[in-house]
Amino acid sequence: MKSGGTSRLLRELRSLRVVVFHPDDQDGQELIGQLGRIGCQVKAFWPPLDKLPEEADLVFFAMRPEILSMDLPWLRREGSPPVIPVVTYENPVIVEAVLQLNAFSVIASPVKSFGLLTAIAVAVSQAEKSRTREKYVVRLEQRLTAQRKIAKAKAILMTSRHMSEEEAYDLIRNRAMTKRVTTEEIADAVIKANEILGFDVKG
Amino acid sequence: MMKSTKSTEPIRVGVLFSETGVTSVIEESERMGTLLAIQEVNDAGGINGRELQAVSYDPASRPAKFAALAEKLILEDRVHVILGCYMSSTRKAVIPVVERWNALLMYPTLYEGFEYSRNVIYTGAAPNQNSVQLAEFMLREFGSRVFMVGSDYIYPYESNRIMSDLILERGGEKVGETYLPLDAPWEDYLAVAKKIKQAAPDFIFSTVVGDGTALLHRAYAQLKLDPADMPIASLTTCEAEIKQMGADIAEGHITSAPYFQSIATDENRLCVARCKARFGNDIVTNQCWEAAYFQAHLLASAMRRMNCDSVPDLLRALPGSEFAAPQGKVRIDEHNHHTYLRPRIGRAIANGQFDIIEEARHWVRPDPYLVSHTLQDWSARVQAHSR
Repeated sequence: MKSGGTSRLLRELRSLRVVVFHPDDQDGQELIGQLGRIGCQVKAFWPPLDKLPEEADLVFFAMRPEILSMDLPWLRREGSPPVIPVVTYENPVIVEAVLQLNAFSVIASPVKSFGLLTAIAVAVSQAEKSRTREKYVVRLEQRLTAQRKIAKAKAILMTSRHMSEEEAYDLIRNRAMTKRVTTEEIADAVIKANEILGFDVKG
Repeated sequence: MMKSTKSTEPIRVGVLFSETGVTSVIEESERMGTLLAIQEVNDAGGINGRELQAVSYDPASRPAKFAALAEKLILEDRVHVILGCYMSSTRKAVIPVVERWNALLMYPTLYEGFEYSRNVIYTGAAPNQNSVQLAEFMLREFGSRVFMVGSDYIYPYESNRIMSDLILERGGEKVGETYLPLDAPWEDYLAVAKKIKQAAPDFIFSTVVGDGTALLHRAYAQLKLDPADMPIASLTTCEAEIKQMGADIAEGHITSAPYFQSIATDENRLCVARCKARFGNDIVTNQCWEAAYFQAHLLASAMRRMNCDSVPDLLRALPGSEFAAPQGKVRIDEHNHHTYLRPRIGRAIANGQFDIIEEARHWVRPDPYLVSHTLQDWSARVQAHSR
């Protein structure tokens, strides 16, 4: 488990902007006190705001029964910062609500100073990984769609122009290069033209 | 818990420092500092007329024993406050116990930071009060190629992480990093010293604690390595370890600590004299002794002000309180329960004491959760101390 230097995430803990949605009670004070010791920049509100303050990197969220009926659009929005729920109840209703937050770590009441740093590190690091993974999936999906279109366009050209697969692909690629567009767009055009003009109808 | 109301009944405090085992030498000196302060408190009339009584056990440098004896102190001896612990592993074993019973631990040892418990007061140095200063001094005076050797437990790993970051930040190089079991034999230290000789670093950063400190220095001396050229830099090698190993093999090596016995103030000279009068002329004091000493006085004055030893009351009185300690004025931080201390760099000399070569102009606020230290902070505050 040896590693080189201290990771960027840990080094940047003190620039982390943390929003705390928690009542001003003993748990809330313990939470804010420990965030202060760690050195994060903290803003605290209760009840939760329907709009997140600008540039929040992490949100602590008290899972109180009264928040169940609230509509907080930022909670499920893509690109929202990771949320660490603070749980006081452990009944199925609350657990279900925690699951919907897509949380990577959880703090239990009574809040203790110990464990908070690890919870923050895990939540921020997993959220970062999850965002990277989501972007990667989107890119893969796009690439897959493009591949499917190109395959279809090649098939059209092979049938209608009696080309080999390689010739069909070269044609698509050359057109893309001269017109300075992607091969996917050329493939799209071939498919559309075929749908309208019916190239593949053998004459 | 019921408060005792009788105004003549003694107030008992637990004292947990090892009298046996690998770290007994330094822990004995922490015990000595504690007992000296308690005696002074009683000589000055105790806690508003009530005697302060130490209940002391030997946890034998073993974490499990620390936990068991802490529980015994709280449940059987009915103490609310425990003064004790040296190694982080022993403190970590005691914390769940004091948290469960809402007792208070006062911990007089430097450690690696990243901790806060409302049931603990930390009076030793945090890394921003000793590591940064040591790195700055060593890089400036000796160079940036370092060999790290430590005992195999948590404090050395975290201290080395901080030191590595500081050195890499300066474009320095780690030419070796090795950990030895706390009870490693002489041959292991000799092997490490041979590796050091071969790697020829600019300096050695040692986080070896306990009896191993003497073995490391002996191995270093046996290979005729020269402290003027390639010293061992440490946060833990203090007067007690030097007395154990012999001043001849300690001479020339560097330690960063907020207190040395050689601090030339009247407060310190008088305090050392009182300690010798009580425990014998040949005793030496050190940073852990001093923290143990001043924390017992801080505790006593908090007890006097609240006129009791209940933990909720003490936790109102202790944070923010100050004391004129042998190192100068110290203060417990309200927010993180650590202590404002005055960093110093010492070089061991032939009589087993330290020549203080640099000291901070002011106390430094403790910052136990600081991940990235910068060298700039301290270099702005140092002043050369010419003797």
